[in-house]
Amino acid sequence: MTELRYERPPSLEAAVALMNDAAGRAVVLAGGTDLQIKLRDNDLAASLIVDIKALPGLQEIHWAPSGELTLGAAVTMRQLYEDARIVTCYPALADGAEVVGSLQVRTRATLGGNLCNASPCMDTAPGLIVLGAKLRLVSAKGTRDVLAEGFFKHVKKTLREPQEICTAIVIPAAAQKLKTAFGKIKRVRGHDLALVNAAVAYDPEAGTLRAAIGSAAPTPVVTPVLSGVNPKNTVEFGQKLAALALDVVKPIDDVRASAEYRRDMAGLLCRRLVSELLGGQK
Amino acid sequence: MSAPMHPIEITLNGEKVAFEVPAHRTLLQLLKGDVHLDAVKEGCGIGECGACTVLLNGEPVNACLVLAVEANGAFVETPEIENKSDSLSELQQAFIDFGAIQCGFCTAGMLSSARALLKRTPQPSHEQIAEAIAGNYCRCTGYQPFIDAIAAVAQARTTGGYKASVLPAGKFVGGSTKRIDGVAKVTGSAQYVHDMVLPRMLHARIKTSPHASAKIVSIKVDKAKAMPGVRAVLTGADYTYKLGLYMQDKDILARGRVRYHGEAVAAVAADTLEQAEAAVDAIEVTYEPLPAALTVHEALAAEAPLVHPDLASYSFMKGVFFPQPGKNIAHHQKIRKGDVEQGFKAADRVFEFKFKNPPVQHVPMETHTAIVQAMPGGEVEIITSAQSPFTVRTLFSHTFGVPEYKVRVRVPYVGGGFGGKAGIHLEPLVYCLSKAAGNRPVKIIATREEEFNTLPSRQGLESRIKTGVKKDGTIVALEVEYLWDAGAYADYGVNIGRAAAYSGAGPYCIPNCKLDSKVIYTNKIFGTAYRGFGHLEVLWGIERNIDLIARALGVDPMVMRQKNLLKVGDTTITGELFTEGHGRPDLCLSKVAEAIGWDPNARVQKPVKVGSGKVRAKGLAMLHKAPAMPSYTSCSVVIKMEPDASATLLVSGVDYGQGTYTTLAQIAADELKIPVEKVRVPWDADTNFTPYDWQTVASRFAVMGGNATIEAARDCLNQLREVAGRVLCAPPEKIVCENSQCWVEGRAEQKLDYKKLVLGYTYPNGNSIGGPVVGRGRYIAQGLTNLDPETGQGRPALNWTYGAHGVEIEVDTDTGEIRLLRIASAFDAGKVLNEQQCRTQVVGGVIQGLGSALWEKFIFSEGRMLNNSFVDYKLPTAKDIPAEMQQFFIETPHPQGPYGARGIAEHPMISVPSAIGNAVANATGVEFFELPLDPERVYLTLKRS
Repeated sequence: MTELRYERPPSLEAAVALMNDAAGRAVVLAGGTDLQIKLRDNDLAASLIVDIKALPGLQEIHWAPSGELTLGAAVTMRQLYEDARIVTCYPALADGAEVVGSLQVRTRATLGGNLCNASPCMDTAPGLIVLGAKLRLVSAKGTRDVLAEGFFKHVKKTLREPQEICTAIVIPAAAQKLKTAFGKIKRVRGHDLALVNAAVAYDPEAGTLRAAIGSAAPTPVVTPVLSGVNPKNTVEFGQKLAALALDVVKPIDDVRASAEYRRDMAGLLCRRLVSELLGGQK
Repeated sequence: MSAPMHPIEITLNGEKVAFEVPAHRTLLQLLKGDVHLDAVKEGCGIGECGACTVLLNGEPVNACLVLAVEANGAFVETPEIENKSDSLSELQQAFIDFGAIQCGFCTAGMLSSARALLKRTPQPSHEQIAEAIAGNYCRCTGYQPFIDAIAAVAQARTTGGYKASVLPAGKFVGGSTKRIDGVAKVTGSAQYVHDMVLPRMLHARIKTSPHASAKIVSIKVDKAKAMPGVRAVLTGADYTYKLGLYMQDKDILARGRVRYHGEAVAAVAADTLEQAEAAVDAIEVTYEPLPAALTVHEALAAEAPLVHPDLASYSFMKGVFFPQPGKNIAHHQKIRKGDVEQGFKAADRVFEFKFKNPPVQHVPMETHTAIVQAMPGGEVEIITSAQSPFTVRTLFSHTFGVPEYKVRVRVPYVGGGFGGKAGIHLEPLVYCLSKAAGNRPVKIIATREEEFNTLPSRQGLESRIKTGVKKDGTIVALEVEYLWDAGAYADYGVNIGRAAAYSGAGPYCIPNCKLDSKVIYTNKIFGTAYRGFGHLEVLWGIERNIDLIARALGVDPMVMRQKNLLKVGDTTITGELFTEGHGRPDLCLSKVAEAIGWDPNARVQKPVKVGSGKVRAKGLAMLHKAPAMPSYTSCSVVIKMEPDASATLLVSGVDYGQGTYTTLAQIAADELKIPVEKVRVPWDADTNFTPYDWQTVASRFAVMGGNATIEAARDCLNQLREVAGRVLCAPPEKIVCENSQCWVEGRAEQKLDYKKLVLGYTYPNGNSIGGPVVGRGRYIAQGLTNLDPETGQGRPALNWTYGAHGVEIEVDTDTGEIRLLRIASAFDAGKVLNEQQCRTQVVGGVIQGLGSALWEKFIFSEGRMLNNSFVDYKLPTAKDIPAEMQQFFIETPHPQGPYGARGIAEHPMISVPSAIGNAVANATGVEFFELPLDPERVYLTLKRS
């Protein structure tokens, strides 16, 4: 740890070169709220910290004329839920961001960091998954976009290669037709990790529902698409989506909650969120 | 091998400053460790507690989660930016005015959060304020005073800015004198041991056991000793000293075996904290796991593994405690009154229930910390974050055989204690390190993780309560068994087992009582005093028991309590006669019942449905507690009159946030007839300079210190009168003292200023009489006796304080979440000495009790503590408090209290879980027997019922 160096490259090219040269001995720093704890616990096998906050566009929210939304990877939780358009268009993302940690943490914690840290209880992933968002990963080998839905491989493990930098999260224009909502079960009303969380997307045109559930398996899990949704039968379709959710969750007993509680709450969140989306109540 | 340094420049509180830092250095380490901006505190190091909140480019961040290099080019504002040369900022002033200060350790972080909020949202709602400070943990205030203060500043800014509140004239006692430590705490100038650095000081770290029970096969320290900067490495093999409060059962470092996960096995002192940490990591310990007793039942089983096979050889306080060698029983307290078998025969119904409380933690915002230096010549200097300097000295001296006069213990500002800092903890180890490191001063700060699983907790409790009642709810017999999960060492646990036994039937008249309270050693973190000293735990069972029986009998639970409450002429279970001076538990109950709109004629409280899955209901609970202390407990106060006719009050009780120094200043001011601003009660308490006090525990400091202060002040007045009488040619008893002046009764035209008397009076010709006025006051508990070993009969309590809570809650039956909507609390305080402080004590205690009620617990797996951090040990935040908290004080004077006052510091916390548990039963029809009532427990219990 005493050999640790810090760089804040001014350009993506420079950052990519640093990551490449360090050959797996470099870590990316965005908000630092997870990284700093690893440092404290002597749990970081790295000789170089690459701070990506100064890279152009990394802290920007950009709506293309097409409606495609590009979120710089270092956009903070607060930027997400303090942005009126995101709150209106993508409440599942904004509401998830709003319940990450305390205000102090949300001031620092970034979207890219929340996703790349890949804790099973991250609050931004379920929303992004049901919105069909992609992560943009850049390395010396090139740039690739991967779906949030397949990005998470296990607890703290993702598709991202050690040299890759997540530079942006892109939500396709098509997501704008979706109505989304997010819910989280935790122990206290103040800052707490999710015992279970969930985002549900309702496509009124297609008459479909889909849920992504976090903290109920090593990675967020996604239900199959529930089609033929009749918005008048809120209770029925809430139960149907909950049943689909219970097929895909694989919760464990741990210090935060039992598997049984997690399962039941995953179902409850699905029912509540469907009721909110179809019934229009919050 | 030195770390690469990075040059940075930050604008720190408006001034550009350049530094060179290694990459891993946090902004917190830079601001606190290097720049000594000590208003910034460290409470956890992982971004959960908010004590290190600073503003980075105007927005609040946890400085522990920011690398110093990241702040290059940024604007950083620490809480010190609020400090002006000659006045307080609006927020600082409002924090003082609203009593948003107790221990002061979270205060500056709150100030940062509040400052950022008002910049971003000049007129915030209460919800927005709560959200803005929810990332700042506070263990003392219950958050409401902060919310009120911030709201008041925002409101005042619409009309020209916040102005300090002005207190009405008149006597200080009974008013709301502002805290005398307010300015030091809001400006961050109050120095805590955490903040202190001495020249040539070394830093210590400990290595802890990963096993609950194991033999230590070997400890290899050679590698650690050879590491850079390392000055001393110790293991248990180096020392044979035994440590303990009532039972000398603990080694300074584990010797031969470890008895709990988290126990210290080795320690290092090094030039820097990082070097000490690296050396601790290099120590290799080989263990051979042993069978463990992890619950009280396992520990009591035949053939149970013995936590202390050598129990017979330990020294302990004889005649008061009764350990049982060959078993895991550290103490067995018996109470016998009447004939319980006859009582059950006479009963119409007999009920038996079992209840359970988990071990929990005090969570002071300042973790345990001490600086110790072994001096040449055998003297010892100890600076420690402790509740009781004289107890630290006595126990230290006893352990090492160093005479007391050679040991100096200083206690500066303390960041919360709640009982966890009442005895002696890290000081002996740090002393050994200092000696081993060539007498250099050594400092240790427990990490938050160590605070949880190395330093003591509150004991767990399993209760079995069998009650015989008449049909109308009159209790005729009570048989109780309390099994205390003491953990690996007795510490205060044995005395809790004793104290909670003599209080263990609740504030009720029980004609026939058999109570057995057993303190059981187990292989877990050891227990100690925690606000309420066992009473929250026993009253969880006792007060749930009343509601359970009332429901079964169809009697209103309030009516059942009224029927059984102690009244004048009754005797307690230890045979103490209940007199008028004991106070009015009945009024406490009726006051809270009225406040929450309890209908005693309803018999069964009907829940109210509010929306999908949510129900509301009310609940009641009584409480009582007396100080648990030796019969000979004493306290002394010295008041020095200064040349300007101000007074300096010296006392060794510690004000670690509860506000007693302010109370004593009020008393001294009223007695001395001087303004309260002219009474100084200096921090530190220091065995070299401040007079003896037993301990700052048990809600006894305001009572005993108050009595001693009255006596010391009157001693000063007598000295003033004596000299003034000679000058004015009148007998001393004819001298009137008022407004810092003396005159002869009826001759007010000739007045003598105190200033002319306090150092001695000088006649115009130069002759002088009198001399410096120094008053002495003391108080020793009166009329207390030890308890009979077989029957527990005797008089253990200086003063009982009675109280009650009434609550309204909402249960979300879909998730199991309980919300406390409102709480009304009443106490017979005897005399309210400082109204604001009484109210803020209650608010803070209620919220601490809410933590025990709804969330707090240690979780163990095969003896390993799984939740030794704020990530999974959840505390109430500003978003978790009820919308409405009411406090009522009944004032039935206590014959021995100062102006009739009783202690009320611990009491607000007691029975908060009981009232909530009773309300949950009323809301859901389901009875809960185990704490905490966390969402999962509530949901799953409802699901299965």
